[in-house]
Amino acid sequence: ISSIHILDPLPMKGPELGVQADDIEPPEIEQEPKQEVLENKDVVVQRVHIDGLGRTKEDLLTYEIAGVFRAKNLIDVMRKSHEARQKLLRLGIFRKVNVVIDTSRGEDALPNGLDVTFEVTELRRMTGSYNTMVGNNEGSMVLGLKLPNVFGRAEKLTFQFSYGTKETSYGLSFFKPQPGNFERNFSVNVYKVTGQFPWSSLRETDRGVSAEFSFPVWRTSQTLKWEGVWRELSCLARTASFAVRQESGHSLKSSLSHAMVIDTRNSSILPRQGGLLKIHQVSVYISDPHLNLVPTPLTDVLSASLWGGLLLPIGDKPTSIADRFYLGGPTSIRGFSMYSLGPQSEGDYLGGEAYWAGGLHLYTPLPFRPGRGGFGDLFRTHFFLNAGNLCNLNYGEGPQAHLKKLAECIRWSYGLGIVLRLGNIARLELNYCIPMGVQSGDRICDGVQFGAGIRFL
Amino acid sequence: MSQIAAAEPWPENATLYQPLKEDQILLSDCASSLAVQAYLRMCGLPVQVVCRVNAEYMSPSGKIPFIHVGNQVVSELGPIVQFTKAKGHSLSEALDDVQRAEMKAYMELVNNMLLTAELYIQWCDDATATEISRPRYSSPYSWPLSSILAYQKQWEVRRKMNAIGWGGKTLEQVYEDVSQCCQALSQRLGTQPYFFNKHPTELDALVFGHLFTILTTRLTSAELAERIKSYSNLLSFCRRIEQTYFEDKHSVLPSFIPSL
Repeated sequence: ISSIHILDPLPMKGPELGVQADDIEPPEIEQEPKQEVLENKDVVVQRVHIDGLGRTKEDLLTYEIAGVFRAKNLIDVMRKSHEARQKLLRLGIFRKVNVVIDTSRGEDALPNGLDVTFEVTELRRMTGSYNTMVGNNEGSMVLGLKLPNVFGRAEKLTFQFSYGTKETSYGLSFFKPQPGNFERNFSVNVYKVTGQFPWSSLRETDRGVSAEFSFPVWRTSQTLKWEGVWRELSCLARTASFAVRQESGHSLKSSLSHAMVIDTRNSSILPRQGGLLKIHQVSVYISDPHLNLVPTPLTDVLSASLWGGLLLPIGDKPTSIADRFYLGGPTSIRGFSMYSLGPQSEGDYLGGEAYWAGGLHLYTPLPFRPGRGGFGDLFRTHFFLNAGNLCNLNYGEGPQAHLKKLAECIRWSYGLGIVLRLGNIARLELNYCIPMGVQSGDRICDGVQFGAGIRFL
Repeated sequence: MSQIAAAEPWPENATLYQPLKEDQILLSDCASSLAVQAYLRMCGLPVQVVCRVNAEYMSPSGKIPFIHVGNQVVSELGPIVQFTKAKGHSLSEALDDVQRAEMKAYMELVNNMLLTAELYIQWCDDATATEISRPRYSSPYSWPLSSILAYQKQWEVRRKMNAIGWGGKTLEQVYEDVSQCCQALSQRLGTQPYFFNKHPTELDALVFGHLFTILTTRLTSAELAERIKSYSNLLSFCRRIEQTYFEDKHSVLPSFIPSL
């Protein structure tokens, strides 16, 4: 069922409900009898309609389209309408938004008046998804349930349930933006996640609740998050090392974190221009400044990235294996096995309290450019150089000693491979890697290595 | 046990892990741990006792105590006896087959009666569970994890009690069962110093562990200890083992309450 809402120009008195005979027919662009330089012609936007609303509340949308009323000439109207369309789409509640601009009709129509109509198609009330996943010697069935626009103001409720041959996980999440200010939003999550980490012979079950609040400040996006987690660690096999066995048990972790993101990239997976700066700090530990620079918008792209992290325990308590950093694998230092770098005990990798890793990539299109303009554009060849180090720090020594420790015994690798971009979320890589600087205890994967993931060095 | 484990001699740094003694450990775990300690002392094998908050979760079987010897981890008295036997230390070698079968039967009796009674009193008796067991079990953790873990453990033990048919028993019936078990032990012991005359076996260690702990642990009611005290030969048995094997500066046994 669709109804037509007619909104007055600012100041708003509130929507009037009603169907007017004029508005039932789809409006058409009329041909002007003589040519005019339209962009210089002054216009007044008299009415803005939103056509196709079901459960969405109007007060949410008036903020997004308010800009259209301020347009003074035709080109401006078109630009502002396009911006309003983008704003409506980013709410995540419409599948399609079309804009129709027409001259005003009706008794109070001005000669230079315009009516702008946004024809929207709302997303379905509930969508479900079913996937099967295979990986890490485990198969699982993932059920997802998404309720966009639950109460009519762009709130979103998501539920995901994963039932695997080894582990079961689920999560429920509720997201609500501030009406009129979509970048200010909060979300609440409840989850239970179990993971198996064979490189440490460790199994971790997290049951947690988190609340997150995001808001823009100038050009940055700031996020404050509180998370409370009941964490359970246990050994994955009877042959787990005693160092890992000692960390088994339950613990309660409460953390407050803050992240600041400036993202001007034009794509998050294979960007051609822009940069991403993300600084993330958590009250218990500081981690991960990302720096990703991509200068040229040509078809060849040079990309550099630098990761680092530091874990500082409060007081005398030692750090937990589940909080430490891990390095190595197709998503970080290629040529090494997954997270199989650094401190280890009897073959189980224990992680480290400080790390740095850097990567240098040169992306080029596939040689001979097969499938150009279509499928072939999703692929790139890349030449890479990765380096990094992971170690534990003895906090009795000074920072000089720490830097020295991170600088000696650097692991690094180089090679080339093919990258495939999956949507705007993930990427697959097939690389030929040559690891160097291998220290005793590290596990390498030299030769061909396959990687899939979201976050790559 | 593997051949490699058998070949290595008993190291100096063998360690026994149990929950925190002062605040956390419960009656049943304390009894089991003391039984293993007594057994190792009887064998003349040195072991260091280390208290860890997460000892229960570190254990490969989830039960207390467990020992870390070389790079082997073994938990519970039965497997530990097997493990030491593979290394060439045994207390029951001199027994013939009949005696060995008898020893096993009495050990089963202690495990099925005394240990189960201890678990019942700790977790199925509301007064004890509320005043002693849950607060002690959850003491190392902060809220709300403390409540979650304590109730989870209680629910798990109650479910197990129902499964073995003890769910419907009353406290009185449990005390009666303990009395009967003690009577059987007392009759078997008679006037001998140990259950198999001159030399202690793993059965002695097990009985000592449980009886001594019951006698020296304060519960909501002294009824359990009273039932044991009525068998004087069991009391002197406990005293004898304490004096023979635990009278050194490394002993950290609570003071033995002498009989009236």
